[in-house]
Amino acid sequence: MRFVLALLALLILAIALSVAGMGPFIVTREGQFKIALFLGDPTAVITQPGIDVTFPFVETRSFDGRWQHLGAERKEIPTSDQERIIIDSYAVWRISDPLLFYKKFPTGMAEAETQINQQVRGKLREVIGRRTLAEVLKEARGEIMGELTAKTAEAVKGFGIELNDVRINRTELPRRTEENVFARMRAERDRLARKYRAEGEEQARRIRAEADREARVVVATARGQAEIERGKGDAAAARIYAEAYSRDAEFYGFLRGLEAYRKTIGKGTTMVLQPDHEFFRLLSRGSERGGPESSGSTE
Amino acid sequence: MARTGGSEERKVGRLLGRLLLGVLLLGGAGAWWATAGWFVLNPGEVAVILRFGAYARTVTTEGFHLKIIPSPVETQEIVNVSISQRREFGDVDATDPEVLAETAMQTSDNNIVHAEFMVQYKIGKAFESRYRVADLEEILRDSAQAAMREVIGRNTIDDVLTGPGAIGLDAAELLQQILDGYDSGLYVGSVELQNVQPPESVRDAFDDVIAANQDRNREVNEAEGYANEVLPRARAEATEVLQGAIAYRDAKIAEAGGEAQRFLAILAEYQKAPAITRKRLYLETMEEVLPGVEKVIIEPGTASVLPYLPLGAARGGAD
Repeated sequence: MRFVLALLALLILAIALSVAGMGPFIVTREGQFKIALFLGDPTAVITQPGIDVTFPFVETRSFDGRWQHLGAERKEIPTSDQERIIIDSYAVWRISDPLLFYKKFPTGMAEAETQINQQVRGKLREVIGRRTLAEVLKEARGEIMGELTAKTAEAVKGFGIELNDVRINRTELPRRTEENVFARMRAERDRLARKYRAEGEEQARRIRAEADREARVVVATARGQAEIERGKGDAAAARIYAEAYSRDAEFYGFLRGLEAYRKTIGKGTTMVLQPDHEFFRLLSRGSERGGPESSGSTE
Repeated sequence: MARTGGSEERKVGRLLGRLLLGVLLLGGAGAWWATAGWFVLNPGEVAVILRFGAYARTVTTEGFHLKIIPSPVETQEIVNVSISQRREFGDVDATDPEVLAETAMQTSDNNIVHAEFMVQYKIGKAFESRYRVADLEEILRDSAQAAMREVIGRNTIDDVLTGPGAIGLDAAELLQQILDGYDSGLYVGSVELQNVQPPESVRDAFDDVIAANQDRNREVNEAEGYANEVLPRARAEATEVLQGAIAYRDAKIAEAGGEAQRFLAILAEYQKAPAITRKRLYLETMEEVLPGVEKVIIEPGTASVLPYLPLGAARGGAD
């Protein structure tokens, strides 16, 4: 009974000590690393979550093992052609080796962040500094970011840190360069506007010309067809006349002559006639019989 | 007696003591369970359960849940995984030049656009969002901007201005990829480019391009209107011309037929009595023709007067 009570008391003491962070039980949560120090010397490095048992009266240090965001101050960075570009970047990193990290940065995260920022800035200068402004603007951001990430990751390797990536966020051009960009943009737009207007004219004139052509062709084709039809009419008429009149060409000539007189001689015509004219035959010769014609008339 | 009685009393006392201890322990345990052994999940929430800090299980059904061991051995982290959150970036219409400058982005053809966009997201994986990434808000903010800038940087200004939908889709995909790289557990619902504008100082040139485009369309429309007017008119004229010709043709033929018939009819009569018909026709014609004619009758042999014949006077005399 006494033994059980003693054990219980020990357990309670151990729990009380553990709650104060002095071991022997160490509870490590997900996303956490812990180091147990005994008189300043690390006795245990815990990278897996759960409960661990170590010596009592240790000192524990907690580290955040999750991905950390680290924004960098905006920096003006010179390019190889002495231009300047303003770049915003950010890095995402986490502690990968808590012991190494603790040795490197005994005071904690703030110191690590300063170090990482310094490295990022240095590599940014290096990567951008080898390119002209045009190249920086032209080249895919992905490529520059890839190079930047690789170089920075290499540099912070000894810090017990894992660098996920360094990303370029906002880039801003120096004032003078920006003016140039605006001038070029304006020129491009003017070119486009002129092109569109000229294209409009081109298309419109083509459509009009095509319409005019088609209209003219339609009318001319119809005129041609019309001539053919008229010709057909004339030809058919001529054939019909010829067929009928050829029955007695002499009589047709006579009849047609009379018809022509009717049409051509009339009011306003002056005729100079001789009394022996056919019409006046009766007038000059009286009522005497004569000529085969008069004999015909008596029939 | 007293001894035995005393031992009996002691027995009872010990029994009572144990009973009390048992009741106390049970009561303590009960109180522990009652205060720290359960939790309630609302709809859309999940609970991540850690035992001694290590992941044990995830509870996704809503309602009342008892834990196997109460806190602090088993702790629960309740995360809402259904609420969709919105985050707006930039304000294109801002008057503050610094705010406006933040919206400036470079395109692949080295133009600058001002873009305002919105990201809709929610927590997809509760465990990751709590235990794999710190600074979730900052990471989302910077990643969204980086993703949008990268996608705009891959497109020309015309792509960006005319196809903001495609840009949004690409940005959403890239943002999801970036966030997955950080084990953020965030799920990107959509990224929408809400407002894209060319920079203020060149906006008039951009407007002019739009106007030029409209001018082009207007010119073409007008020309098509002209064509639509000219062609039917031409066809109408063609129809008129052709119908006129056909009318001429048919009339000619009809007239010829009629005249031929008439001639043949007269001819038939003429052949019965040629001389008399001839005479009659002649005289009839003269009757018809001569009344309206000025007549001057001159004997043969007086031809010498002809040169002096005052035709006007003769005409007067004849009346």
